[in-house]
Amino acid sequence: MTNCEQFREMYEGYALGALDAAERNAFEAHLATGCPVCAKAVEEARSVVSQLAYLAPEAAPSDMLKGRLMKTIRAEAASAKGAAPAKTVVPIWLWAGVAALLLLTAYSEWNSVQLRNEIRQTNERTAALLQQRHDLEAQLGLAKREAAIMMDPTSVKVALTAMNPQMPALEAMWHSQMGIVLTGQRVPMPNGKRVLQLWLIPKAPGGKPMPSMTVRPDADGTLMLLVANPPEVMTETKALAITEEPEGGSLQPTTALAWVGGLS
Amino acid sequence: MFLAALLSPANPEATPDAALVRRLLQKDVSAFEQLYDRHSRAVYSLVLRILKQGGTAEEVVQDVFLQLWRNAERYDESRGPFIPWLLTLARNRALDTLRLKSERQRRREEQTEQLPPVVAAPPEFEKQIDDKRRAEKVRTLMGFLSPQQRKAIELAYFEGLSHSEIAEALKEPLGTVKSWIRNGLLRLKEGLQAT
Repeated sequence: MTNCEQFREMYEGYALGALDAAERNAFEAHLATGCPVCAKAVEEARSVVSQLAYLAPEAAPSDMLKGRLMKTIRAEAASAKGAAPAKTVVPIWLWAGVAALLLLTAYSEWNSVQLRNEIRQTNERTAALLQQRHDLEAQLGLAKREAAIMMDPTSVKVALTAMNPQMPALEAMWHSQMGIVLTGQRVPMPNGKRVLQLWLIPKAPGGKPMPSMTVRPDADGTLMLLVANPPEVMTETKALAITEEPEGGSLQPTTALAWVGGLS
Repeated sequence: MFLAALLSPANPEATPDAALVRRLLQKDVSAFEQLYDRHSRAVYSLVLRILKQGGTAEEVVQDVFLQLWRNAERYDESRGPFIPWLLTLARNRALDTLRLKSERQRRREEQTEQLPPVVAAPPEFEKQIDDKRRAEKVRTLMGFLSPQQRKAIELAYFEGLSHSEIAEALKEPLGTVKSWIRNGLLRLKEGLQAT
């Protein structure tokens, strides 16, 4: 410390970094000895020198600089936290994964139920369509049969006369193999749910009328009935008759004959 | 008299710099952002004054603050306030860049890449005035120096020139330049301490 005197004039120059190499090296060698006087003096000089920064004209960096810097800082902070020792707590991403898995499972189950419902509904629709097709085919078959009976030259025509002169006449075509087709137009609708029932009157003396099928005319009075399997063969039948019966028909006529037509 | 005019009430800081720097050790991004917001203008102004190029200055400022973020433990708050330390770091970085660009000062090229030493214990003015008032005060005090003193000091501080280089640039004797600089800084110190 006895040689501090020779460095006293170097404090400011050293703090400024303005000393030439030889002076700086000598002074630093002295500082390396741990001289507290010079060390304190240098620190004070640096404090003053640092104030020179305020001589610079005021300026502001761009916002982009802060943006770039903060992006880097955040990335490094995240990396530093990521490199920290493993924690006992479950990381947020794992919770997110579990939540996503639960959601996926729930969705899959819901989707499965939806699919099952859809399959069931599709099956039901398919069955309905098949039934509809079956019915249509049956109707088509009946229509073909009706047409065949009515067009076949071997069919026997039976004219049924109404007992009530106000009622229209009906007509039946009977084919020995394909059955009987009964038709009529402008036929009044029976009251309530009552029906018109076809009877086969046997040739045998004392024979009781053979009950056949029932029918109701449609809204415009058209009557169409196919009896594919008559209860009696044509050769054993004397006449056809129609009565009005309760819904479902009767085993024997309960009302007076409304229409009657004999086989020639 | 002018010093009296520069006196200002204390500038209470909700979050002192030293506390923010301590939080940097925990990689607190918020603390870093606060420090940046508080001091980036002063740092940038200094670096821009040295480098005179905005783009290069921003690169250096970025480097300074990244060094602060990555090596916050190098600041020892027991040895002085934060902002002189930061400004010294910024000046050294800027002068290094200037030197690399101009190759004018081989002397500084021999210096190792080190963070600046912590500056002296804080004078009272450090605690009492904010950046703007501090700047006004320093400029006012510098205004009382002779033009040669100001020029020599500025060449040393902003250009990084040595005594010899300044003497050569100003075509003045080396001893005269040394006296200008030393006496000018001592007068500045006295002015700062007087407030």
